[in-house]
Amino acid sequence: MRKKITQFNQPHHSVFIVSLLLVLMFGLGCDNQYYDERLKMQVQQLDSDLKDRWSTSGVVVLDTTPNGPANRAQLETGELISYVIAEYPVRDVGDFNSAIKQALDEDNNFILHLKDKPPLRIALRRQGDKVGLTVEGNGTVRVKEIQPGTPAANTDIQIGDLVEKIVDERKIYSLADYKKTLGKFSKKQFTFRTTELIGVKIAAVDALGDLGDVRAIAPLVDLFKNSTEFSLRKGAINSLQRLVELSVLNDLFQAFQSADINQLPADSLQAQQLESAAILGLLTVDRNENTATLKAPFGTQFRHRSEALYQKINEGHLATLAQEYIQIEIEPEQEIRRACLAMIGILKPVSAIDALVAVLENPAEIPGIRFQAGLALSQIGEPAVDTLITAFEKGDTSTKDIAASALGSIGGSKARDRLINALENSTESAIQLTLVDAIAKIGDVPSMRALERQLQQYQQDDESGVRIFLDEVFRSLEEESM
Amino acid sequence: MKKIWIALALTLFAIGCGTQNENLAKGKELIKSDKRRKEERAVREFKLALQQQIDSAEAHYLLGYYNSQEFYEPNTTDWQEASITARGKQMFLAYQAEQRKYLERLVFETLRDDDLDIQNAALDALKRIYKQGDRKRLLSQLQKAIKSSDNRDRHNAHWILGHLGAEDPGTIVPILVKLLDHRRMETRLNAVKSLGEVGSEQAIPALAALIESGSAKWKRDREEPEVRQLAVEALGKIGGAAVPELVKIVENKGSSLRVDAIRALAILGDEKVVEPLLEALKEQSSRDVVIPLN
Repeated sequence: MRKKITQFNQPHHSVFIVSLLLVLMFGLGCDNQYYDERLKMQVQQLDSDLKDRWSTSGVVVLDTTPNGPANRAQLETGELISYVIAEYPVRDVGDFNSAIKQALDEDNNFILHLKDKPPLRIALRRQGDKVGLTVEGNGTVRVKEIQPGTPAANTDIQIGDLVEKIVDERKIYSLADYKKTLGKFSKKQFTFRTTELIGVKIAAVDALGDLGDVRAIAPLVDLFKNSTEFSLRKGAINSLQRLVELSVLNDLFQAFQSADINQLPADSLQAQQLESAAILGLLTVDRNENTATLKAPFGTQFRHRSEALYQKINEGHLATLAQEYIQIEIEPEQEIRRACLAMIGILKPVSAIDALVAVLENPAEIPGIRFQAGLALSQIGEPAVDTLITAFEKGDTSTKDIAASALGSIGGSKARDRLINALENSTESAIQLTLVDAIAKIGDVPSMRALERQLQQYQQDDESGVRIFLDEVFRSLEEESM
Repeated sequence: MKKIWIALALTLFAIGCGTQNENLAKGKELIKSDKRRKEERAVREFKLALQQQIDSAEAHYLLGYYNSQEFYEPNTTDWQEASITARGKQMFLAYQAEQRKYLERLVFETLRDDDLDIQNAALDALKRIYKQGDRKRLLSQLQKAIKSSDNRDRHNAHWILGHLGAEDPGTIVPILVKLLDHRRMETRLNAVKSLGEVGSEQAIPALAALIESGSAKWKRDREEPEVRQLAVEALGKIGGAAVPELVKIVENKGSSLRVDAIRALAILGDEKVVEPLLEALKEQSSRDVVIPLN
């Protein structure tokens, strides 16, 4: 080892080594922050792992100096610059040729803007290939010739088309790209294209749903209403739904909060809320020990926040919002309409009945969502009975089917009598199974009598669906009583 | 050279066979078969072997290795747990009889077994060794394992160190922190995971430094993304005083680990995170910004 060093220890070798070291230092470990003196801002290379995970790349604005060019352009901290775009106006043949030459540099492609046509991206396969386009004119520049077999020939450019400008879009992968590209564009007016870090926002939206904090409601509603990004809107409405789910457990959490403990006797709490909370993973129930224990960390923390969340949601704005967005005419995304229906099902606002029936009756809506509207109505319960009966009477087969099912879930004498009447007088075989099922669900004495009458009527008919279904109903009832 | 070793091993084995008691030999013969009933009989033989020779390391080990309902009184409610404890104790007795051999066997062989109960019994035995045996040697073996080129050993060592650390963070955390500088990336990865499982706030500064290294000036000072990502997860498992560190990551716009930090915080349920999250929502959407030049 020592020997080798002495060998290199000659003047020209040491120069070589020093330069090699310099190359290594700059090549392998380049600085990942940079202060852009011209734009007066600090930028940082985005970590490479994010590039792989969200297929985003670029440099992040860390800080802009007040009154500097970046600051005046209102570039904000945290924005991810992923493209630098330069525009070359074309006023004569010389403009055109030099613009193309510059734009093709490095990345072999440019965007051509022709009058009254969408922008065209033209890419060369190899450096030095011909674009295949010649132009003529001064002041206004038009296409003169298109050479066959070139990239230009594969587009819908026509001779005589007016050339407006050439745009050069450079994707920024690294800080080195940034420096190089900006150095090149230094004399042109240019534009930064920034990329929203959707992944971060989606994670934030999901987390806000899980945290159950009242402060999240307004920003989530705002995002839901105004974002153009479907994944964000969907995330926002799902988180709002989660907040609604949490808010209806307020009585349960208040029981813990007022006692200021995390464990209570299970039988002292409302059974249904207890079950929902267990399903949501907020507490554990031990029936043998008769204990309900809030799960740390979320369950134990949430009891402090529960009341505020409940109060806010109880003001009714979310119910109103959901009623609006269950309409297919307003919300084209079915997943969002579903989430809104689910929210209404939990909040049970009487004011939503008409909007729900409209969804239920809407032939343009997909069957699953119409059914979900029926489900939400049955969750509202008694107040929805009259409207459901009307829908049942005047509706098409699907409407009848869904309404009957919802009436069966709600129960009560009024719903029951109407269902029995329909079963005994209806000629529509399509909804008979639903009627039998709905009546069986009510299951009181008059209901069972009605079903027995049906069974007698179908005595001879072993093959009919209704008969098989009735047999099934009575068999399961027998099993239950045993 | 190799042949000499093999010959030596064979000779030792022959001597071993000669001195080993009959029940042990019979039991070992029985377990060569996979049949469950024979295993039961084998266990009985091992018990008999111990009656003859109370300090037979191998009999203890095998007794711990093979489960037997008869031996562990299955009619109690905590049968499963009691069985694992009893088996761990047998493995520990084997260690007491022949320390070096069985320590190595437990760390590099028993833990590799596919059977979860056997792994747990070995964990129990190693915990006993930590408390009552040669702790220094145990820790050096575990460090050897976590530095190993074999993924199984690294994984097993991280698991054991996590458990030992949960009970004695004062000793284990500094060892794990030191491993964060190890040249093997997978070793650092396992050390980070282990620190998460230990869950001690003592580890926070080291993990935070590791995460921050992502924006170090030189590439050689930057930790690999995978390790940094796991470090965020580990902070999430630690919770408590780690929350401000996680919030700092969420607020660092240049960090690629913001999503991981947000997820970790969401699980912790700490309301301190609500404001930074709302801030993140306010960030600009994709847009074009024209830069005016003079």
